[in-house]
Amino acid sequence: MSGDRQTIDISHLTKRYGEVTAVRDLTFTVEPGVVTGFLGPNGAGKTTTMRMLTGLVSPTSGTATIGGRPYRRLPRPSRTVGAVFDASACHPGHTARDHLRVYAAMGGYPDSRVTALLDLLGLAEAADRRTRGFSTGMRQRLNLATALLGDPRVLLLDEPSNGLDPEGMRWLRGFLRQLADQGRTVLVSSHVLSEVQQLVDDVIVIRRGELVAAGPWSRLAGASAVLVSSPDADQLATALLASGEPSIEVVQAGRLRVRGLDAPGVADLAAAHGLRVHELVTETSSLEQLFLDLTTDKAVSP
Amino acid sequence: MSHLVKAEFRRLLSTRMWAALPLAALLLGGGLMGAMALIGPENFDPPMPGLHTEAGVRSILGILGYTALVPAAAGTLAVTSEYRHRTAAVTFLFAPRRWQVLAAKLATYGVAGLAYGLILAGSAAVAVFAAAAFRDVPLGLPAGTVLGLLARIGLAMVVYTLIGIGVGALLRNQVVALCVVIGYLYMGEALLMMIPGVNHLYPILPGGATAALTDFTYLADAMSQRLGSTPLQLLPPAAGALLLTAYALAAALLAVIIPMRRDIT
Repeated sequence: MSGDRQTIDISHLTKRYGEVTAVRDLTFTVEPGVVTGFLGPNGAGKTTTMRMLTGLVSPTSGTATIGGRPYRRLPRPSRTVGAVFDASACHPGHTARDHLRVYAAMGGYPDSRVTALLDLLGLAEAADRRTRGFSTGMRQRLNLATALLGDPRVLLLDEPSNGLDPEGMRWLRGFLRQLADQGRTVLVSSHVLSEVQQLVDDVIVIRRGELVAAGPWSRLAGASAVLVSSPDADQLATALLASGEPSIEVVQAGRLRVRGLDAPGVADLAAAHGLRVHELVTETSSLEQLFLDLTTDKAVSP
Repeated sequence: MSHLVKAEFRRLLSTRMWAALPLAALLLGGGLMGAMALIGPENFDPPMPGLHTEAGVRSILGILGYTALVPAAAGTLAVTSEYRHRTAAVTFLFAPRRWQVLAAKLATYGVAGLAYGLILAGSAAVAVFAAAAFRDVPLGLPAGTVLGLLARIGLAMVVYTLIGIGVGALLRNQVVALCVVIGYLYMGEALLMMIPGVNHLYPILPGGATAALTDFTYLADAMSQRLGSTPLQLLPPAAGALLLTAYALAAALLAVIIPMRRDIT
């Protein structure tokens, strides 16, 4: 099973709830071996898409497949796909171990798997406590443990950073990276770009149920640039070029756009050459700008 | 499928309901029956026929039939707690053929309902015979007949557990489903009996069919006497049993079919 690479294919997926179209003609693929960020503002249709992918919600039209099969046709779904959609999904009267044992039985996994996952997710000490006393982070980890029972090739996480502290988030980043490096398919949704930018290789951005952008982060994000206003722009450009790394674009007289060097770098270089700098602005990357537009400009017509 | 039944048993056995159900069966079977037999129906207010009469024995057994709302509520909880605690999505991720999940719940809770019914009937038998012996009252029915009637009541508990699961699958909201199940069994049928015209439906309602099992006509008779209407005619016991089985099957079918296409959000 370890060499098994599963691609997620979403094709012309649409979901309508009465008058409201939650997802509209959505098409994208998620590749194995990388961590893919599924981004968009709240209510963009991320959760609905992930639930359609796993057969919890029936699409109005279109298809969603994993390794070429719809979720309901997978021979042993929990072995192929692990999903965490709701961090708080556990019976308050069950202990963490009870909860995992129920789903271990359901998927046909041995109790040794339960113990291994309790250890892996740092729940060993809390294993025999009822989940009613659990923090959101502990429930989040319990649900992640449940999703991992079948050692799945595909992992789907809906807003995993909710309830995780920075330490937990750092752990999750490392863990997901490790899974992707093993050739697994990892899809992580988020409405906060900054939470996932250190995590993801590829991104899919949707808004109002429609695809806005998809591709490798490095291509979509673009290199960040520094805008410099200087009465000594010509000399500064010469000095910058002499330093090797950066590329320079003359925006207008006295204004340069510098790529490949950050704002402190530009300032230091200018100071070293005794050149004046009147303004120094770091331009946000294009993906960041795009995301900002999506989340702030609510007046954009669909 | 056997994986799912095993999982449902684990789910049931790791909640407190596991301990509460047999306790409730003991309290209602042994406790309630023992208390009624000790006090004697002739000392009730209003008085009912005594234990030395057939009607008296049938009456207190009939009252035991009304405790069916306990296993019905347990069945309802089995399904609705999955929606309330949002584990339904996890469960359907592990088992996308949803009818199998509900079939496993029906099987598991069918067994639990049977265990409940056995404890209820068994402890009731011990309590009634012991109380009669203690008060030195000869029972109005032979011991074999009493045991047979109790066995019917015990089996009826299985039916009510399954009905509870069906209602839970249909309504999904825990509070609403519990209110409907308990409200209907506790008061709803009694209210229906008071409505002229509708009250003729009583014999074919679950409560009427359960009463038919033990030929418990006291409540229905009292009601029609008070309303001055013609006495209701219960079904023969065998027909009552068949009708209850049909209700259980209908509830099971409902439970299995309804969740198939619904969106889990």
